[in-house]
Amino acid sequence: MPARGREHDPRDVMRSVLDYNEFSRPRTSFLKHTTMSRLAILARLLSISIALLCLVGQADRGDADERAQRAFFEQKIRPVLVEHCYQCHAATAQPIQGGLRLDSQAGWQAGGDSTEPAVVPGNPDESPLIQAVRYRDGLEMPPDGKLSSAIVADLERWVRDGAFDPRDETPIEIHRADKSWWSLQPLPKLEAQSEDADPKNGSKIIDALVARQLAQQGLARNPPADARTLIRRMNYDVIGLPPTLEEVRDFTSQYASDPQAATQQLVERLLASPHYGEQWGRHWLDVVRFGESIGFERNVIINDAWPFRDYVINSLNADKPFNQFIREHLAGDVIAPHQPEVVVGSTFLVAGPYDDVGNQDVVAQASIRAATLDDIITATSGAFLGLTINCARCHYHKFDPIPSEDYYRLRAAFEGVRHGRRVVATEEQLQQHSQAIEPLRAEQAAVQAELQKLEAGIEQRASAELARLTYPRPKIDPQWTEETFTPISARWVKLVLKASTDNPNSAVGSKLVEVQVWAADPSPRNVALQSTGAKASGARGAVAEDFPAAYGPQLTIDGQFGAQWFVGHPAELTIELAEASTIERIAFSNAKGIDIQDQSQGATPCEYEMQVSGDGENWQVVADSYQREPWSPTHGVARLRAQVTTEAETKELQQLRTQLAGIQARIDAIPPLAVVWVGIREQPSEPTRLNIGGDPMKLGDVVLPSSLSVLDQTTATYALASDALEGERRLALANWIAADDNPLTVRVLANRVWQYHFGSAIVDTPSDFGFLGSLPTHPELLDWLAGQLLANGWRLKPLHRQILLSETYRQSSVYREQPASIDKDSRLLWRFPPRRLSAEELRDTMLLVSGNLQGTIPLATSIPNEDQTLAAGPGFRLYKLTENNVSSYLPLDVHGPETYRRAVYHQNARASVVDLLADFDFPDVAFAAPKRSSTTTPLQALTLLNHRFTLDMAQSLADRAEQSVVPGNPEALIDSMYELVLQRAARPDELAAAKPLLNKYGAAALARGLLNLNEVLYVE
Amino acid sequence: MSNDRMSTEPFGDRRQFLSHMSSGLTGVALTQLLGPASSMAGTTHPHAFQHPPRAKRVLQIFCPGAASHVDLWDHRPMLEKYHGTPLPGAEGEVSFQGKNGNLMKSPWPFLPAGQSGKMISSMLPNIAQHVDDIAFIHSMTSRSNTHGPGCIFMNSCFTREGFPAAGAWVSYALGSLNENLPTYVAIQDVRGEPPNGKANWSNGFLPAQYQAVAMSAQQPLRNLATPKSIGADQEQATREFLRVANAEHARQRAGQDALLARMEAYELAAKMQLSAPEVSDLSRELQSTHDRYGTNDRNPLKAAYARNCLLSRRFLEQGVRYVALYCASRASAVDGLLNWDAHKTLKADYERHCPIFDQPTAALLTDLKQTGLLDDTLVLWCTEFGRMPTHQDGTSGRDHNPDAFTTWMMGAGIRGGVSYGATDEFGRRSVENVATPYDFYATVLHLLGLDHQQLTYYHNGANRRLTDVHGHVLHDILA
Repeated sequence: MPARGREHDPRDVMRSVLDYNEFSRPRTSFLKHTTMSRLAILARLLSISIALLCLVGQADRGDADERAQRAFFEQKIRPVLVEHCYQCHAATAQPIQGGLRLDSQAGWQAGGDSTEPAVVPGNPDESPLIQAVRYRDGLEMPPDGKLSSAIVADLERWVRDGAFDPRDETPIEIHRADKSWWSLQPLPKLEAQSEDADPKNGSKIIDALVARQLAQQGLARNPPADARTLIRRMNYDVIGLPPTLEEVRDFTSQYASDPQAATQQLVERLLASPHYGEQWGRHWLDVVRFGESIGFERNVIINDAWPFRDYVINSLNADKPFNQFIREHLAGDVIAPHQPEVVVGSTFLVAGPYDDVGNQDVVAQASIRAATLDDIITATSGAFLGLTINCARCHYHKFDPIPSEDYYRLRAAFEGVRHGRRVVATEEQLQQHSQAIEPLRAEQAAVQAELQKLEAGIEQRASAELARLTYPRPKIDPQWTEETFTPISARWVKLVLKASTDNPNSAVGSKLVEVQVWAADPSPRNVALQSTGAKASGARGAVAEDFPAAYGPQLTIDGQFGAQWFVGHPAELTIELAEASTIERIAFSNAKGIDIQDQSQGATPCEYEMQVSGDGENWQVVADSYQREPWSPTHGVARLRAQVTTEAETKELQQLRTQLAGIQARIDAIPPLAVVWVGIREQPSEPTRLNIGGDPMKLGDVVLPSSLSVLDQTTATYALASDALEGERRLALANWIAADDNPLTVRVLANRVWQYHFGSAIVDTPSDFGFLGSLPTHPELLDWLAGQLLANGWRLKPLHRQILLSETYRQSSVYREQPASIDKDSRLLWRFPPRRLSAEELRDTMLLVSGNLQGTIPLATSIPNEDQTLAAGPGFRLYKLTENNVSSYLPLDVHGPETYRRAVYHQNARASVVDLLADFDFPDVAFAAPKRSSTTTPLQALTLLNHRFTLDMAQSLADRAEQSVVPGNPEALIDSMYELVLQRAARPDELAAAKPLLNKYGAAALARGLLNLNEVLYVE
Repeated sequence: MSNDRMSTEPFGDRRQFLSHMSSGLTGVALTQLLGPASSMAGTTHPHAFQHPPRAKRVLQIFCPGAASHVDLWDHRPMLEKYHGTPLPGAEGEVSFQGKNGNLMKSPWPFLPAGQSGKMISSMLPNIAQHVDDIAFIHSMTSRSNTHGPGCIFMNSCFTREGFPAAGAWVSYALGSLNENLPTYVAIQDVRGEPPNGKANWSNGFLPAQYQAVAMSAQQPLRNLATPKSIGADQEQATREFLRVANAEHARQRAGQDALLARMEAYELAAKMQLSAPEVSDLSRELQSTHDRYGTNDRNPLKAAYARNCLLSRRFLEQGVRYVALYCASRASAVDGLLNWDAHKTLKADYERHCPIFDQPTAALLTDLKQTGLLDDTLVLWCTEFGRMPTHQDGTSGRDHNPDAFTTWMMGAGIRGGVSYGATDEFGRRSVENVATPYDFYATVLHLLGLDHQQLTYYHNGANRRLTDVHGHVLHDILA
């Protein structure tokens, strides 16, 4: 169990235990409170002695009886109460109408403001609840309409039978936050600070605030870490890669003479490294649920979302003010529609999964659209505000002061956003492109018009000819078409297919279910059957890689009217019979339906020649379709075209087509404008309305695109008209979220920064600052950090600097029994909490130390120019993608050199479980992953020992070490490998352990072992 | 370990709790390493049994593609009587793929089976022999009419990805019965993944060790085998090197449990390398067993599924906690080709699918019963939703129907030979004792000794449950 808080959170357990009693507040200080509440319930229950005695009497009736009563209550009563009563008569109601609660036995026993019990067990006629639902005696409940008589009868039966109610654990007290909740309060005012203030001052404040909390527990922080530990820690933390041996040596020697100066220099160098953006960008991509396939059933890959990944990396490297970064996420396309580097930020909106299966059911369509917008709302409120506004979709938030209206206010902002891709370009690019392409398009249109004119003439003549002709045979029947001919001996039969019912010029893309070849025996039999040894071959027009038999030609001779052969190119089906036979009849069918006429099986071949052969080389035509009535007039015209076309026309046609191809080639040569997955925007036609109970078919009042009421005490409000322009809505929301007076945004951000430095955050539920989230371990520190962000103009790097230079950060990770007995996970930071590498860090490290890591950014860390930006391009893939209606992602066994890039450049398709990443807790990006788990499993061991990637890296590492030392010196070789992997020489005991492995099995064997060492996987 | 877990104390002991803090597999071993100095004193196991469990393990058979209730399990005589006439009050109704035609009877007769006389499709003659042990739930409803969301709804009670599948919840709650094997195994069909793929056996937001390990007779566990280029002695020497080096590293870092847990994981991996191939080795079975399952059937799809059935039994015997076995796969360019999604040609499609499914499944059920495993194994049969009683306009197939479908349970704690709930006379909608996947899993957890309302995990602002905020135990089907 890693000592950091990333592991399975013990507080989850606490919560679960508390949940048992539906007391959801997971904090020790509340344990006492809840106990008292239970006493209160008890006292109340005792006071209602008569009702209680009734119940006891019934409980005695035996198990079977109770089971029946329980079943009745659960099936008939509870659902009715939940659906029709809880909205006004439960702990969660706002307010509780008449003080009456029907969500617990105690509730109806206590009655409402009238204090008269709402239910008198055994006596429906005396029970106010029953009187109310009968709609007879003045009080009519529920107010929006009488319940069905069946439900009323159920309720009456329930009361008559004693009103069995198992809901006795529900507390009377309401546990929830209101607007006085800590995270909703304004930040304390901070004295103005000059831009170039000494970061050391800030570090001292951090240390003081941490030390104060420690002292309260009688604890103190560890002494400083040694130089090698510190540089390894900082390297991984800031850029996600280990230092080189030289970097460790240089730092160690500088540190020996002046630790402060050496550390400061190191911090500056790392923060200036372009790898900083890769590492911290990866963190951010987790927070904003960025994935590169659409998820759900079809899970189609998205190949043009990567510009967002580069945008994130570049923005962090440039230390773009985070309020600007947030605004670009929500409204980049509104702020600067012709600046691609800004527009791309709004990919955030459509970076989540969505269901694109074409559903014809209207209700389902509405609910899919609602779910799509819900993803955007959830992602926005979690990433920036640390609020679970999504919990208010169906009802007033159960724990936080968030009315359902707030949810629909966000929805109003995003109502016009749809998933998809479009051109993203500068005005200049657009202009240049249209200048280049428009003349060509005009030229193309002119030639096409000429071609069409010519074709029209030919077709007219063909039509006239068609009208003159009569065909003696009927048109083909997709259900069953057969040809009979003079018996002939054949071993091979070939169907040459020339047109289909959909396409008069080709049969490619059409389908066939079955083909039969009948022998001219006294008792006729079909000799074209796989089961009797026939073989069918022919190109197929579709493949399912993971199911090779699908759509194949063999399906035409499987004897079943089921699966279809998809006709490919060339459109020919060859059947080899088991033995030469005298045949006289060939039939084909595209009918899958037998009982009911079926028009939905796609196109059927309709122009054909049937050929036979005895040797498979010389073919004889035995039947064709040419005397049949054409499938359609168009088919007839196509058949006669060649006949009526003059030589001159043929030549001219040829010429025009050549000309068109030339124009097309010139059009293709124009560099296309960039198309990016930033989503499509459309002006909503209707105002946004509340969905009652979250049901998109039950519309309530209009909700305006406006600020959220949850923060109306602290943050300046706004409200737009219900028909406000789509872009304005998002821009207004973006400005409100990224406002200096929004206390949540900046607190949430400061907390995330702290989390990635120390492994656990001050608020350990980083996307939930509400009632169910954790309370801050260091509230003052959090506010101070947030204040620093504001003072620094929302730039992260000054804050990183202050944290990295603090003594708190630089202390050692040495374990001590006494503080561990009080604070095992070091949430109070008595030691630096060690952590396991993330999946990406591990893979990047293996690539780096083996000398294989390729980068779009030069690996030598250097200070980039202000405007140096990255264009890393499409990501690499560690899976094989197969697409057949839906997409499947199969992990690769061999990772080629084209994948030797940092894992942040992996094209992260949803639900693509890539062993090396997924085993080490790389999250599936169905949701935001603001906090990763850090597990230890045998599968990790298997992958890291046995995957070909480890073997390849081990081999390179061995080669690299062998090249750097004089041959024949095993100790030097071992040292060299330790230095490459761990930036230190091997100790004597390690030399002793490594030598047998090296001597007997070679350097690659040792390298495989080294890459599996705990010391590689843990940074401390 | 299994005995520890099967205690009936109201709360498990600290050791049980701690075992969940690391890998569900390292379990007790790590707990012993941790010793008494942990700061967790005073906390309790959230998942300890609330009542004595009836079932120890689960076999879930899933037929993706929406296997038709009215053609397999749910006999609707009125459908035969009114074949070819409009569904009263719903002429031309538009469902998932479009307009519906008239009522269409099942292409095959239903026949009475067992002592209970349960009417079941004549396409399933072998499974019919088990009806007296099965509790059918005929009144299921889904929240989605689309395969992908429907499948994950049936597996996780949520229509969107990212939530833990039932198997992951069970692994999280109960841990392993045999630490040398995975706790939760997903056996996918030879034809590919089910709709929405791996999301069907995902750990969701639970820690990664609770996800299913995907393996099958045709696809062994990834990375299990030591590469061929590495001999046994070299592997031995490598592990020895790792043991020595890691032990010294950990010795210098007393108190860092993670390092010990990681060493333990390597030991367990080695054990798994021995046990997993052994349990997957079907050649250890008698020829007569192979014949009963149909592993050498001429139909390669049936033979492949039969091998997976046999593999399932071996996993269950060896203490895999939750086996999810799939019969058929995803949607394809042709409806109904790769799975039970018979939009156009029900008869042809099911005449392919039923024979693949029937004999091997029945043989597996027979084995479970005969070996006594069924006493503490809960068998579930699922699909994502049902099909319309009408034919799809212009075809002889049926469109999706989320308003009615059948699932069933069998084995530990289940009352056999009962039919719970009912659809209307045509099978269009569930009308009597309407049930949901929430109820289904409330019942499953109940049989495992767990209260579905108490098994929770905090994620992004909510204490999540398998059954969301719904679910009632279906007491009527319990023995």
